[in-house]
Amino acid sequence: MVKPLFPIAVITFKEGIRNRAIYGISILALFMMLINFLICQMVMRDVGKVAMDIALSTVSFTGLLLVFFVGINLMAKDLDKKTIYMVLARPVSRAQYMVGKFFGMVALIVASNLIQGSFAVVSLFILQRMYANYFLRFSWLMFFLALLFIVLMLILLTALSFLFASFSSTSFIVLVLTIVSYIIGNSLSDVKALVEAPQSVGIHPSPITVKIVQAAYYLFPNLSFFDIKTQAANGLAVSLSCVGWTMLYGFAYTAVALSLACFIFSKREFP
Amino acid sequence: MRRYYPLIIALLFAPVYLLCLSTLGPLRKAEQQSAGYSYTLPGPIAKIATLDYDGLAADYLMLNIQSYYGGTFERTERPRVKEAEWRWMYDVLTVSSDLDPYFFDPYYFANSFFTWDAQMVKETNILLAKGNHFRDWDWLPSFYMGFNEFYFLHDNAKASEYLMQSSKKPGATAILASLATRLAYKASRTEVAIMFLQQTIEGTKDKVEREALEKRLKTLQRIFFLENAVAAYKTKLGTVPGSLKDLIDQGLVKRIPTDPYGGVFFIDKDGVVKTTSDLR
Amino acid sequence: MITFENVSKRFKEGFTSRKVTALDDLTLSVATGEVFGFLGPNGAGKSTSIKILINLIFPDSGRALIGGQDVGNKDVRRLVGFLPENPYFYDYLTAEELLRFGGQASGMDSAAIKQRTDLLLTKVNLDKARRRPLRTYSKGMVQRAGLAMALIHDPQVVILDEPMSGLDPLGRKMVGDIIIELKQAGKTVFFSSHILSDVERFCDRAGIIVGGKLRSVESLDTMMASGATLENVFLAEVDKAGQKEVD
Repeated sequence: MVKPLFPIAVITFKEGIRNRAIYGISILALFMMLINFLICQMVMRDVGKVAMDIALSTVSFTGLLLVFFVGINLMAKDLDKKTIYMVLARPVSRAQYMVGKFFGMVALIVASNLIQGSFAVVSLFILQRMYANYFLRFSWLMFFLALLFIVLMLILLTALSFLFASFSSTSFIVLVLTIVSYIIGNSLSDVKALVEAPQSVGIHPSPITVKIVQAAYYLFPNLSFFDIKTQAANGLAVSLSCVGWTMLYGFAYTAVALSLACFIFSKREFP
Repeated sequence: MRRYYPLIIALLFAPVYLLCLSTLGPLRKAEQQSAGYSYTLPGPIAKIATLDYDGLAADYLMLNIQSYYGGTFERTERPRVKEAEWRWMYDVLTVSSDLDPYFFDPYYFANSFFTWDAQMVKETNILLAKGNHFRDWDWLPSFYMGFNEFYFLHDNAKASEYLMQSSKKPGATAILASLATRLAYKASRTEVAIMFLQQTIEGTKDKVEREALEKRLKTLQRIFFLENAVAAYKTKLGTVPGSLKDLIDQGLVKRIPTDPYGGVFFIDKDGVVKTTSDLR
Repeated sequence: MITFENVSKRFKEGFTSRKVTALDDLTLSVATGEVFGFLGPNGAGKSTSIKILINLIFPDSGRALIGGQDVGNKDVRRLVGFLPENPYFYDYLTAEELLRFGGQASGMDSAAIKQRTDLLLTKVNLDKARRRPLRTYSKGMVQRAGLAMALIHDPQVVILDEPMSGLDPLGRKMVGDIIIELKQAGKTVFFSSHILSDVERFCDRAGIIVGGKLRSVESLDTMMASGATLENVFLAEVDKAGQKEVD
């Protein structure tokens, strides 16, 4: 079962990392890290927080670009341009194809985040030297933890995109569904808090709306669990149990999404 | 020759483009200040809209406010900032601190300008209370609140309560101890304000900010100087002087200092030294 | 070696509920070591039947077997080499990496992969271009890379869907030589084509499929001996099926 996964993961990774888009994404990250210097000059006091905000937001955003465009594009080539024949002609099952491809994507996400992350490290290191007084609550541990969580979030989103790809006919649909899931995933806890206590804003949601939001909470991934940028930027700590449960949540959701994807995909035909 | 036609057309449009550019810039800018402030999304809605970039959005709003406020210094009309604008800026600071309640700059900005210039002290303390709650490691929000209660709201009891809170937090400077004792002895407001400003200026790196604070400090120091002279007059003659000129006549001061804000120092019927500019 | 047992397949046409019959009760057997050509007009069902063999499509009824095993079993494809019509590969891989993937996925060890890669790339004349990304290949080169990919694991059964499409005369000769070589090695070859001369050249037997139904299976030798040409037989069958034009 496991043996063919490696070659599939390897070609997925190679195809992804050689995509020109990776250069564009990395240049964007580099650019943002330079902008970081300009913006920090304008900040009145809390430079450390703003610097960390920009660094982590850039890594997160470029990671999203990777998943939405490079990742889904890799899927697209197989769905739209029938490059999947070259893999399915081998003695591999549909499930092995999916899982192998997924591992290739995971490797791609990790590699890309290492690149963008290293730009962030350099930028923050220099800024810390320049504005030492305002970096008093800065924590490298929290920075790397936030980075890890970003990677986990991207992996989860990728698994979800695989699920969408297993039944969609074009890559465009997969892209739209994944972007929608990202938006819902990040708004979920805030919207749920809002509909359950609407008096703060003066709106009156109907009971059906509340039920829908609550259902969505269970169905869609709650991506805000993986957003610890604010904590990292302000030097707050995240408890070990919180970290553990979050990772378990990510793992569980990913496993469910990927398994469903494999199941649906095994019934799929390629005329 | 034919193949150069597209190039020629491009060249013909260039002056049109440049004309539009030079016209639109100032035109938009002129319209900007009158309608640049109006509505802002309430905090909980903003939190949803900014997905997982809440912190970044808070930073962006803050920088926006800074540049907007900085832009008002170009104005010649008085009051330089309208009440509606202060209200709007306050709302934006509220949203920014809703998005990231640990972010220090909104609290700092509010305390620097909303108390002295906008006279929105109560509102500032509401905002600072949020900062005090979330930034539980930080002695500054409670320090600011304490000062505001003392200097602007004349509530010594609340003031000392906040300063007590503040002095217990890590990094609270020794200045707090002396402030607390000063308050206990009902020290002069001006002296407390001077100590407070000196503390603030120490941490300021921005040139424009520093200049504004130093101007205020200089003014207060001159008022303090005059207050001391008035106290000396009272000791000597048993009453407060009718006008500041009396101080010169009695030989207590050589001349009346000028007000950096362009006003004139005077003494009111209760013997309190004031200035026509009111430090604005 | 290859068996179709009453295989039928219907496809839905767009969003209407109208169904198109791609294969109608196909029953066919190809013996071991045989070279079998599958002929038919466009849309007759040649590609469909081949894709069923590779388990890309599932039959509505009936079943297909290769080497006695149902084609749904993935291990069947250890014995099978497949070249699709108009093959597409990942743009940024090189021919060498492509073959390495093919070999590894089929369970070969690195030494064997290296040896077969050198052999096959030389044979299909891609040795000079082996380190270049597949993006830079011409259509003919892609086709030849696909052929090497199909043969990397030295399969017993080779299935080719329109293997000559897009090749210049040199390429066509090369493919033809390979087919002959495979036959001499005792491999079973099943290929579809609508170029009659190719089928005449290589095949032991030819099957003619029109409108999803297998119309006739001819042994080339007996057919030639009786003086008929494949073209005559083919046109006669198409005529019988009531199709004046291709679909």
